[in-house]
Amino acid sequence: MKPLSIKIAFTTDKGGLDDRIVERFGRARTFTIVEVDEKGNILSINIIENPGSRATSGAGIKAVQKLVDMGIDIVVGPNPGPNAYMALIQSGIRLYTLSGQSVKEVLNKLLRDIFK
Amino acid sequence: MSSSDLIEIVIASGKGGVGKSTIAASLAIILRNSGYRVIAVDADAEAPNLHLVLGINRWDRVLEYREGRIGFIRDDKCIHCGYCYDSCAFSAIEEKSGRYVINPWICEGCYTCSFVCPVKAISFKYNVLAGYIKIAYNTPYKFPLVSSELKPGRPNSGKLVTEAKNLGRTISGGKGLIIVDAAAGIGCQVIASLAGSHLALLVAEPTPASFSDLKRIHKLTKHFGIPSALIINMYNINNDLVGRIIEYARKENIELLGLLPYDYSVPKSMAMKKPVIHAYPSSEIAKSIIEVCNKLLTLLKDWENWRLKHIPEKIEPFIPVIIKPKELG
Repeated sequence: MKPLSIKIAFTTDKGGLDDRIVERFGRARTFTIVEVDEKGNILSINIIENPGSRATSGAGIKAVQKLVDMGIDIVVGPNPGPNAYMALIQSGIRLYTLSGQSVKEVLNKLLRDIFK
Repeated sequence: MSSSDLIEIVIASGKGGVGKSTIAASLAIILRNSGYRVIAVDADAEAPNLHLVLGINRWDRVLEYREGRIGFIRDDKCIHCGYCYDSCAFSAIEEKSGRYVINPWICEGCYTCSFVCPVKAISFKYNVLAGYIKIAYNTPYKFPLVSSELKPGRPNSGKLVTEAKNLGRTISGGKGLIIVDAAAGIGCQVIASLAGSHLALLVAEPTPASFSDLKRIHKLTKHFGIPSALIINMYNINNDLVGRIIEYARKENIELLGLLPYDYSVPKSMAMKKPVIHAYPSSEIAKSIIEVCNKLLTLLKDWENWRLKHIPEKIEPFIPVIIKPKELG
């Protein structure tokens, strides 16, 4: 049986734990994806390009589609645009809205809240 | 970057012609003269004219903006089956003297034709020139202007606006005020203008159309969780509606920055390509703009507190309506 894990995506620019959460959702350059196990240990950190950042139109939808394809459970970023918001609701991905802080800060707080 | 170092102010209205660019130009000048580092961004890529209001006709840099794709049919391979003609959802394929050709003005680059073509006769041209981003570093008003300009017929683009705004942020070095003059409407470009901004400066005139559009644009700012402030322009053309707009603003927690009168100095100054506060500094409107600006300056001095008091409580959900192009007839 595959061990339980949670995938958390952050909207970032260059990506990585030291990057800040950017103020764009659909057009964020990258998503930093952190996978944690059921005890809150970090299993992997990946940086993926957001296809929405290159899209002429429908950026929000493309971004959410990517998150769905990656099997993301939680996404942390700014308030998404109207279409991205609707897509997110239907995807079942949980959204935490905030921006400006570093990924590391928010991740630590999130892990404390989930695994307390 | 922390929001107190850099504040992005978006001037939006929903309805066009209510004075966004006029107000943006004068505000930028006053804020710059008050000691702020200011960068002006014209985010109305379809009809950019902030540079005209400011009287700027020389650009220091012009960047090409390329995006999207357009299909073309290769005559040497085409077998005239007409599948592409039947399948194009945008009716972009035309039959001209026995040949099928793709109209580049209509083609959306959706690939449907190349998908149905049995002989792979359709190729695509990528990165089509779709517009420009123009930068004037040294304007007579001591702040840079970044202007986005879409080529006629190219898809309405939030990406172009996003890139112009990002360039503005880069120039700012993460400090100061970015004044974004948004397009009319509540579409892709306006969404791109609002996304990631910190303050929405809504402009309304006391007409039923403007009031209705104010509510629509405010829905969008609430959706993004952006605090809003309001300027009522040309208030003296219809005093009855002013009260109702103020009432709405109070109910919706929008800070009223002030009322501007209808003043003939505005169109006269536009014809001179000068911002009204410079062209007619002693006019009624110039005095009112300065008053509005003083209120904005007070707000900015107390930014963190003000923001927390005016931030919308919850996201306003949107239900998109999907219309397929063919259904429009």
